[in-house]
Amino acid sequence: MAEMTLYHGEPNGPSLTVLAALAETGLDAELVAIDLAAGERHSGSVPHGVATEMSVEGEGPVLAVGGEAMADSVFLAQYLDERAGARLQPTDAHARWEMEMWCRQTIERVAPAAAFLGNRAHTTPRLAAMPDAEFDTILDSIASEDLRKRWTDTRAGNFPDAQEADSRSKIVQGVERIETRLGDGRDWLMGDFSIADLESFAWLAGMEDIVPEAFEGKARAAAWIERMRARPSVAQALNQATSDDPRQSWAPGPEINRWG
Amino acid sequence: MSQVTLYHWEPNANSGKPMLALAEKGVAFNSHYIDMLQFDQHKPEYLAVNPQGTIPAMTHGDRVLTESTAIMEYVDNAFDGPELMPADPRDRWRIRWWMKFMDQWLAPSFSMIGWSMFVGPSVRQRDPAELEAAIERIPLPERRVAWRKAIHGSFSAEEMAESQRRVGIGIGMLEEELAKRAWLASDQYSLADVNGFNLAYAIPLSQPELSNDEKTPHLLEWLRKIYERPATRQTWAMGRTDMVKRVAILEREPA
Repeated sequence: MAEMTLYHGEPNGPSLTVLAALAETGLDAELVAIDLAAGERHSGSVPHGVATEMSVEGEGPVLAVGGEAMADSVFLAQYLDERAGARLQPTDAHARWEMEMWCRQTIERVAPAAAFLGNRAHTTPRLAAMPDAEFDTILDSIASEDLRKRWTDTRAGNFPDAQEADSRSKIVQGVERIETRLGDGRDWLMGDFSIADLESFAWLAGMEDIVPEAFEGKARAAAWIERMRARPSVAQALNQATSDDPRQSWAPGPEINRWG
Repeated sequence: MSQVTLYHWEPNANSGKPMLALAEKGVAFNSHYIDMLQFDQHKPEYLAVNPQGTIPAMTHGDRVLTESTAIMEYVDNAFDGPELMPADPRDRWRIRWWMKFMDQWLAPSFSMIGWSMFVGPSVRQRDPAELEAAIERIPLPERRVAWRKAIHGSFSAEEMAESQRRVGIGIGMLEEELAKRAWLASDQYSLADVNGFNLAYAIPLSQPELSNDEKTPHLLEWLRKIYERPATRQTWAMGRTDMVKRVAILEREPA
């Protein structure tokens, strides 16, 4: 088996998904912490390739295996799971479809909204305080033009009101969806614990402070969040934090759907 | 009577993905043609199947499946027949990466161009009140926005330029990737190829400056190789519009 190195940001968003998935599988990988909001993913020290440069996810972790730089948290979690022997995904075809649909909804609706709100709250002040020359060096290292634009928008605080309102409502809907899903008393979203739990938790954990109304009166979702935090793999991932509160660690992420 | 029913429009983009995947697997299905240009997908009969009003949708027994790429993965998992995902975990990752990249980054750009060139003009001349009523029946707000823009031709110059930029980048990326392996993301014909063909089959005609035998030989060879497959022939023969008949450009020997 090829050796692996995981270049990860603080355990929040996509880095949290992959760190916890790695812990779930028990696979061995070298961990290298990088500062995603300092553009370190694009510095020469992290392996890169088309999959990291053009990742729809934006600034997420990079898994280097056998000379290939791999990206996109859900697919990295699936890779780790399939390499280790399938425990984090349902085997029944329909249950599998449900998990994939769940993850896709999370990727397309919750993740862009969470990245928008998280960056607005936490990354803009940091980038705004950065000297122009330093910021320009980051920009020059980013291959994707649209990802570069998300960096400049973040630094400039360019977050249109309509998108903010829409993002907040997508977080509210995301938590509602979890509350509904847990309505039959199940512990985990797909019945058995799966990548759907990891990806949902990873993007929503940092939203409790920013969109508190989404979590109000959602007793089942709240209990699920507690179960997630108590899960050894998640606790192990959260232990990788080097900052006081990793939920405040964001970097330009997936774009808001261009069609509106 | 097959247990599988597919509600689909043309063998093109999202509808074509499960059509071609089912054909490759050799799974017989009841074909239920949804005429997107007549807004069949927002009519009560179809909303009873898929309340979101998106196409395609598939029923298998009493199960209802939606979202074209997820349906393809289901088809591959649920039925016997040739495997459309390789066993190697890294190949599987690469296939998923490319499908997401195409579904979320590249295809929306192609479809913005396609909608403004084909879908919009096809429906625009109808009675405005009838069109507005049709738009109001669309369940998903983002689809309402998209249809309004397509019908009124109101994609902004910036949006169109950005879509064209992405199409150019995407064509270059496909060409580069196809030079690496036998198929798009692995050495085995897979869902990534099924997905990619639906996105790209008309590129040599729609983007002749960017995609031709000189500039993108691997892309052209890949498209021709897929069009030679019996499942592709069978699927594209189900097309009704001139739009999908453009696939004929992939014939090696012009008829």
